[in-house]
Amino acid sequence: MDLETITEYRPAPGAAWQPGDAWLGGGTWLFSEPQPGLRRLLDLRGFGWAPLTESRGGLEIAATCTIAELARWRPGGPAAVAWATVPLLRQCCDALLASFKVQNMATVGGNICLALPAGAMTSLAAALDGVTTLWSPGGGVREVPVIGFVTGPGTTVLRPGELLRSVTLPDASLRGRTAFRQASLSRLGRSAALVIGRTDGPGLVITVTAATPRPVQFRFAARPSPDEATAALDRAGLDRAGLDGAGLDGAGLDGGHLTWHDDVHGAPAWRAAMTRRFVAEVAAELRE
Amino acid sequence: MQITMTVNGVSHTRDVEARLLLIHFLRDELRLTGSHWGCDTSNCGACVVWLDETPVKSCTVLAAMADGRRVRTVEDLARGGRLDPVQQGFAECHGLQCGFCTPGMMMTARWLLDHHPDPSVAEIREALSGQLCRCTGYENIVRSVRWASEHEAAQPAGGDGGTGRQAGER
Ligand SMILES: Cc1cc2nc3c(=O)[nH]c(=O)nc-3n(C[C@H](O)[C@H](O)[C@H](O)COP(=O)(O)OP(=O)(O)OC[C@H]3O[C@@H](n4cnc5c(N)ncnc54)[C@H](O)[C@@H]3O)c2cc1C
Ligand code: FES
Ligand code: FES
Repeated sequence: MDLETITEYRPAPGAAWQPGDAWLGGGTWLFSEPQPGLRRLLDLRGFGWAPLTESRGGLEIAATCTIAELARWRPGGPAAVAWATVPLLRQCCDALLASFKVQNMATVGGNICLALPAGAMTSLAAALDGVTTLWSPGGGVREVPVIGFVTGPGTTVLRPGELLRSVTLPDASLRGRTAFRQASLSRLGRSAALVIGRTDGPGLVITVTAATPRPVQFRFAARPSPDEATAALDRAGLDRAGLDGAGLDGAGLDGGHLTWHDDVHGAPAWRAAMTRRFVAEVAAELRE
Repeated sequence: MQITMTVNGVSHTRDVEARLLLIHFLRDELRLTGSHWGCDTSNCGACVVWLDETPVKSCTVLAAMADGRRVRTVEDLARGGRLDPVQQGFAECHGLQCGFCTPGMMMTARWLLDHHPDPSVAEIREALSGQLCRCTGYENIVRSVRWASEHEAAQPAGGDGGTGRQAGER
């Protein structure tokens, strides 16, 4: 889409951020909607960050890594054997509505910063206990766990001018076994419910995205039965709220206000029902 | 700002506005009107071209983002007066009616066959997802791509696959 107010496009390095600026990832969202408030686009590709860096600590995914690059990536060295979760990367890339023509441009960082409930890169990184590295305009650096980075549909903890540099998936999370479930109204449609289970030593971590306005996580010290897993969901109040099609003020996890997300990609009650079913399924799959 | 890009093998240098989209650069600056501009919201795929060998929606790319890169458009499919098998397939199997979606469909189909010479119907449908056709109902588009796949496979070894290209050119 023509962005008629844009007067300048430049590489991001060295640019002093000012109101009216936007960090440009792949541009697949920026160019798909009117952006009347924008004046300058600062292209993050100018940093020349390596898309994916393996280390003992885990996998660092640069914000500018495209979704296509992530989908194709395979670890080398010892990680090739140890990182059992690698197929999950591809599953999450495929969970976007976007076809491979969009994935060739769209970046992991852009997907997370856009913070749509159906942001499958958020689902992936939250499920694997990813940690974001953020650069502030003044030169400061801070780290925020992905699970707390997205605060609601389209909202994040990013401050004005702050940018997402990378997401690091820790080695320990990459070693777990995972189970993945996703539902959308059409086969390649936008996710309406996405549940990822991951073994964590003797325990289990279940992450719910797409159905909720922001990621929600349940951590179990031991592998729960399907009933125990859905009981946790019910205790969180999500189930009742969803089936009523109503929000549940003040009763959410972490003291937040949790509701089932509601938009054209799925009714809240359906999202709630699918999430409950998926939570039971991933618990059963990872119990063995 | 000044940009230089290679389009269909020819280098072009132009002064452009920062906000100019690649689709408009191709159509308005270079007069390569084969690529179409449809939805303007990244949904229809009529604008698909190759950027450095990968298909992208050129309505979501600034011309400036293609500076220093290679672009291939539908005008580059036929060579030496011979249609690409994908184009022949669309003609043989009635893969188009109004033709608006066709350039994008063909550029994706060409890429698919270069990487998966014998795609299943499901693989063709998946590759063409995110590209909309209001006329054909897709059946004939899928048949057209299969036609191209089968006819390329039937070419004698060492031939140019009906593409009019030298070996290794693609
Ligand atoms: C057909 C189609 C289907 C889509 N399907 C989905 C889908 O299923 N799920 C989904 O979540 N999205 C979807 N999208 C939206 C979007 O394309 C994706 O979310 C994509 O991953 C965004 O990445 P990008 O690099 O193109 O972001 P951009 O468009 O470049 O940027 C998106 C936003 O994030 C900001 N930003 C980008 N990078 C950074 C950074 N490193 N630090 C700080 N801010 C940054 C930008 O300023 C902008 O506000 C779809 C889009 C299209 C066109
Ligand atoms: S004009 Fe580019 S996708 Fe429709
Ligand atoms: S032939 Fe008319 S839109 Fe496809």
